[in-house]
Amino acid sequence: MSFTTTPAVVMGFAGNDSPSFVFPTAIATRSSAATKAAPNKPVFGSTSTSSQSNFLASKRGTEDLDFFIGDEAIEASNGQAYSLSYPIKHGQIENWDHMERFWENSIFKYLRTEPEDHYFLLTEPPLNAPENRENTAEIMFESFNCAGLYIAVQAVLALAASWSSSKVVDRSLTGTVIDSGDGVTHVIPVAEGYVIGSAIKNIPIAGRDITLFIQSLLRDRGEQDTSLRTAEKIKQEFCYVVPDIVKEFNKFDRQPEKFAQYIVETTRGPKKTVDVGYERFLAPEIFFNPEIASSDFLTPLPTVVDQVIQATPIDVRKGLYRNIVLSGGSTMFKDFGRRLQRDIKTIVNDRIAASEQLSGGTKSSGVQVEVISHRRQRNAVWFGGSLLAQTSEFNSYCHTKQDYEEYGPKRSFKIKYKHLVDKSN
Amino acid sequence: MLQLQNENLLISKTLSELIQSPQLVDRIISDFDYTTFHLTTPQDENNLLISITSKSFKDLSKYNATNELNVIYEEFKTDYIEPGYDYSIQLNLIEISNKSQEERDQIIKDISLLKRHLLAIPFYHAFKVYNSLAEEYTNSGVEPEATNEIFEIDYRDEESIYIQPSFDRVTVIFSTIFKDETDKVFGKVFLQEFVDARKRAVQNAPQVLYSHKEPPLEIRNLIKFKADEKKGYITFVLFPRHLTVQKQDNTISHIQLFRNYFHYHIKCSKAYMHSRMRFRVDQYLKVLNRAKPENEEVARKTASGRRFLST
Repeated sequence: MSFTTTPAVVMGFAGNDSPSFVFPTAIATRSSAATKAAPNKPVFGSTSTSSQSNFLASKRGTEDLDFFIGDEAIEASNGQAYSLSYPIKHGQIENWDHMERFWENSIFKYLRTEPEDHYFLLTEPPLNAPENRENTAEIMFESFNCAGLYIAVQAVLALAASWSSSKVVDRSLTGTVIDSGDGVTHVIPVAEGYVIGSAIKNIPIAGRDITLFIQSLLRDRGEQDTSLRTAEKIKQEFCYVVPDIVKEFNKFDRQPEKFAQYIVETTRGPKKTVDVGYERFLAPEIFFNPEIASSDFLTPLPTVVDQVIQATPIDVRKGLYRNIVLSGGSTMFKDFGRRLQRDIKTIVNDRIAASEQLSGGTKSSGVQVEVISHRRQRNAVWFGGSLLAQTSEFNSYCHTKQDYEEYGPKRSFKIKYKHLVDKSN
Repeated sequence: MLQLQNENLLISKTLSELIQSPQLVDRIISDFDYTTFHLTTPQDENNLLISITSKSFKDLSKYNATNELNVIYEEFKTDYIEPGYDYSIQLNLIEISNKSQEERDQIIKDISLLKRHLLAIPFYHAFKVYNSLAEEYTNSGVEPEATNEIFEIDYRDEESIYIQPSFDRVTVIFSTIFKDETDKVFGKVFLQEFVDARKRAVQNAPQVLYSHKEPPLEIRNLIKFKADEKKGYITFVLFPRHLTVQKQDNTISHIQLFRNYFHYHIKCSKAYMHSRMRFRVDQYLKVLNRAKPENEEVARKTASGRRFLST
């Protein structure tokens, strides 16, 4: 069984082809007069929790079980009685009380499992603080008595997910992961299962920016419907990446059938038709030419990837170029991988040519650049987890309750990737 | 969520998705007590095979489980049983999607209750025995000498449910294991609450008895596993008012999830305690932060080490 706790919780059982549940990490708790009377002013930063906990100490009933999670939470918060909060912010757990109850509900209500019988695989973002990991282990073992726990780094699981692609031959845990979700794009180098933290780079361009860019193009043209929803649908259905935008502009001018139409289904009123034009290829282009959409971040994605790899130790660079793995919904555009591969190759070849010239005639053996895209990109992290968790060896890498009681959360959670690497070779 | 639901949410969600848009699937869905469902589409995307395997099936098959389930799932029954599983049903998704919304919802609900129906079988058997005994002996009011058959279901490793029908009551005994010392204490407190609740307010509730380590007399000679510090026995005495035809379905649904409900609440109580502890630590930290000495007196000395006289 595995969980992924990104902005949305993705959970399911090992060995399945798709996650069982995907819903936002939202929790709706019953708000009472006591909490309303004390407005949560962010004075000490902990005021909001203390007012809530004051109330917690005084209650004697079953109020602590009166809450909803996920989509039900959002629904419940429309009413008066419940207030919504998100225990996870920026990939970090902020409110452990809520998170504990969130897990409680997701294990018993949604997954319907007795945690004592199961091994859990949780994921963490790269550069997660060890305290977070320890707290998580504490909750999983102390409250839930779960049989075993493994906390994996998301990027490593994304690498494992790429093993499903036919291009991958050697199943290594070395590679560069490009993880592009809704808010931020991360470029994470991983060497033999270890994340090279010093080289990670973030790009503030991701799914939401593409949607906003489409929306602005629609507005400029004065389309009938320019809502964010429409823009998002257009992004998902029509967009693709082209090798050369100038050629594509010409192609559009010559072949009018390239222009598409998107029909907006509305519950009331007539259907609206929105023309879809150049944004089909312009929108994903902001990864490669960010200047068309953003004014403060101007480095194209291929350059960032190259910089990241150049910042890593020299002996792993070849492996990182050879295995560039895509993950996350915003990397799903058609031909995204091909374009990325071409651009990175150009950068690398230019550098090799320059250094060959400088060294005066020595020939380089060349650097192989390969971007791997596969069908599981959207939930790559989850799928990688599912893949790893169903291997028969998985249980032996898990930290068991005995380990935990023997060594405590601190020592038992030294990362044990070495095993994973041994197994994969 | 105070009570655990009887139906499996994931099955109902998956089914309603598949009925709307059939696709090839191969999914494993779990449920409590080592129960696993397997949803597959062996031939094409319109024929869905749902298989169930459960730890308790070996005991349940003594009570004709397969036939009983075939009665409930008449529409979908199939002779084929998937290897590695205990019982299978076959759904034609096209047929189902042609039905009305209410019928569809009913089918989804029925199937998501598969595990409940499976575990309910021995209870129905026991209730039947109770009914016949009641007819025979109620008038005389004397308990028959011969001990009645006890239905035994090993539903987890070393944990069993025992059901003993009698002429004026049905006794249900759960044995459960506490893997953790703390759990045992929480469990005790929690069960005490059950006993008290009957004393105080809820007179209609079944009587609950709890014994630790020592099994109750009724089942003493049935215990297969060695006595263990970690073991506890919970006895429910169901009275005729719980066993009427109108109420018995509800009774079964609730009682068969009792063990999970029990352990779920132990975990919830722990989570609750943890949030109290976190709150307390927060408060102590605040006190500690405030507890800084004011205007600390620094002893001033000259270079040669002599002190100033304080005035």
